[in-house]
Amino acid sequence: MSRSLKQVAVLLVALLCLDPHGRVGSAPICAHGPSGCHVPSLADLFDRVIQHSARMHSLSNDLHSEFEQYFLPSKNHIGKIYRKCHTSNILTPNGKENAQKLAREELTEVILKLLMAWRDPLFQLHQSMADQQDFNSFSSNKALEMGDMAHELRKGVEKVAEKMRVLGMLGNSVTGLSAAEAMLPLSESGEAMSDYELLYCFRRDSNKVQNYLKILKCRIVPEHDC
Amino acid sequence: MRNSGAVLILTFIAKLILQAAGVSPPGKPRLTSCRSPEKETFTCWWEPGGDGGLPTTYALYYHLENSETVYECPDYRTAGENSCYFNKNDTSLWVNYNITVVASNALGKNISDPVEVDVVYIVQPNTPENVKAVVVHDEQGPFVRVSWEKPRTADTRSGWITLIYQIRVKQEKDEKWEEYDAGMQKYYNVFSLHPDKECMVQVRCKPDHGFWSEWTQTTYVKMPNYIPRERSLWILITIFSIFIVLILTWTLNVKRNSMKLCLLPPVPGPKIKGFDKQLLKSGKTEDIFNTLVIQGFPPTTDYENLLVEYLEVYDNEEQELVLEGKELSEDFMKSKSSSDNDSGRGSCDSRTLLLEKCMDGREGSGSDQHQYSQHGETSWASTESSESQGAEPGSPESTDGRAKTWPVVFPQPHHHYPVGAVKPAYHSVPEILNQLSPHATPSNYHQLHHQDIPQQELRFSKSACRHSQSYNQFNLDGIDTPAPGVPPLPSLEYVEVQRVNPENMLLLRPLSDPNREPERSDCTGEDYSKVKVVTSHNILLLQRDTSHQCVDDYSQADQCTTQQPPHPCKPAVHQWNSVMPQEGMRVMGNGYVDSTVLMPSF
Repeated sequence: MSRSLKQVAVLLVALLCLDPHGRVGSAPICAHGPSGCHVPSLADLFDRVIQHSARMHSLSNDLHSEFEQYFLPSKNHIGKIYRKCHTSNILTPNGKENAQKLAREELTEVILKLLMAWRDPLFQLHQSMADQQDFNSFSSNKALEMGDMAHELRKGVEKVAEKMRVLGMLGNSVTGLSAAEAMLPLSESGEAMSDYELLYCFRRDSNKVQNYLKILKCRIVPEHDC
Repeated sequence: MRNSGAVLILTFIAKLILQAAGVSPPGKPRLTSCRSPEKETFTCWWEPGGDGGLPTTYALYYHLENSETVYECPDYRTAGENSCYFNKNDTSLWVNYNITVVASNALGKNISDPVEVDVVYIVQPNTPENVKAVVVHDEQGPFVRVSWEKPRTADTRSGWITLIYQIRVKQEKDEKWEEYDAGMQKYYNVFSLHPDKECMVQVRCKPDHGFWSEWTQTTYVKMPNYIPRERSLWILITIFSIFIVLILTWTLNVKRNSMKLCLLPPVPGPKIKGFDKQLLKSGKTEDIFNTLVIQGFPPTTDYENLLVEYLEVYDNEEQELVLEGKELSEDFMKSKSSSDNDSGRGSCDSRTLLLEKCMDGREGSGSDQHQYSQHGETSWASTESSESQGAEPGSPESTDGRAKTWPVVFPQPHHHYPVGAVKPAYHSVPEILNQLSPHATPSNYHQLHHQDIPQQELRFSKSACRHSQSYNQFNLDGIDTPAPGVPPLPSLEYVEVQRVNPENMLLLRPLSDPNREPERSDCTGEDYSKVKVVTSHNILLLQRDTSHQCVDDYSQADQCTTQQPPHPCKPAVHQWNSVMPQEGMRVMGNGYVDSTVLMPSF
């Protein structure tokens, strides 16, 4: 009897571990307030988030160049037919003035929208990369890491937004993003995008996120590095 | 049909004419690069392909991704010749530009290959500005502080662009630049510059994803002439050397004694066995001298005669060590048993029986002389048995060429020293004589017993049927002549043992014996002969050996051995059947016995 119980317990644990979406939630930095705990300032939070986005972008850059090097022998620019990225629906400022014209809340919202839009496609990307034999495990690991980073970054930006709201810097116009915001990476024709296209689009979007975050930071906490 | 054909022909002819005239449509232009200095505007440059001899115009067209609308370059002038400048309004980030250049002249046009550009990835900032290098004097020495400013066009304040800087430094007469990364800061301290030299500095910058800018103009700064007071280094060196000196002193102190031994080796003191040092210390001279005096030693009268008999000692198959009487002591010196504990031996080996070099007088009874010489000979004989070496039976190698000394001398039949024993292999003369003297009885035939000669080889010098002119026996009667027929021999001569009789007596014969066969040298290679059988009378029958040169020897040996004494063999055979110990000579080892031994000594 005990043996079967053990087996059941093991199975349960395994199931929990195998759940792809079952991520371990990180403990909050300071659960019990300021008692002996260093509460990070908004500047620190911004720094962390910006660093994170920089790492994410460099990962995407690496993967993209790997793809280009090994899987697209033809550097023929004419041959490149880019379908629209699925995030092209999201209105993003395409210049400095445009970005500076946006309010903080809108900018934050854009960032969050972008990150949200990439949650599922990155997971799909990792899955398809892992399935294909062409990729070595290193690349598929990178894709997985990239997906995780996007998720972490989203959480971080949400925290920053929360902090800003607490500090009164943000109005209440920033609404929580619902699951309906998540978009599927379907092109206009309805076909799923290829891995290369996904990588191409994500590289660009991660660059956008990094830039917007920097602008936001220097607008809100302009003390250093600005 | 005809018209089109005619048109074709006409155009062809026209081209030929034009080519002959040297004009042609323009060559294909090529877009070389597009760059954005601040991520807000950008410029593209192209190179013309060749104008074909006619004035050619160039036009740049572009369209954005996923849009078919073609635009022409808004500004051909700002950036110079063959360039197109896109201002802020025309620049969109994160959008692909598809750019082509068209060259056209009177005869035709030519389109370049299209180029896809995303402005975000072509950022190359301008060089940093206002580079300053100042010498700062510090207590540890002067250094150079380089400071600069960001390029004017880059907007880092709003966070739109992030720049990281790099500086490089070169001192005069250096070949290579030294590069340092300064990160996002706008100053840098350069240390480790040589004094009294001019220093060149350059700075450049790069956005986080983009290209490095050009290096700035060189900034010069002169290092002052200073003496580096590297005090800390000297302090370290001093402490370290003191430490090492301390360690050395301590080590020397600890190893004081061994150092003394090493530098001033002790002079070996005299060591005489049986001599009590305490006696010397106690100071009674009479006692001291009494201890030095050995009763009955050295042998007196016939000492000369006996002493001069020399032993021929053979070693392995290689050498024949010949011991001369006078030089015996030297030889003995060389041959020291490892079992002897004597340290610091003096010039006279304590084991030397022939102490004539060490002793002044040559007193001693004749009997002692007998013993003495016999000691020598028997010792010689026993050397090969090499107790101390513990040679295995049958192995030819027990000695390594050294003359072995000292025997197991058995003055008494019952005085058994196990020949195989290591320790009591050697006895000094006093000991032996002490042992001898109480048992000295006249008319005793003292013979040497090689008791318990174990299964070891006895090797003896080879000279079959050589005749020992001195057949030595112990005779404590003090017979003047040791044996009949022994001629007085000159003082320096070699003796060789001819045989060992059943009573384990060595029958010797001096080497200068005229009876010796001259062809001894031929047979040196044949030191050993194989024993055929031991007869009832304890005679060893030897096998004939192959060497014909030595046949004579052996044959004589055979003759001699196979016959009972006396027999017509040249050498007189000693009557040995008077006393025949039960254990006679045994076949040793693997049956090899030196054939020369078997001959009686006369």
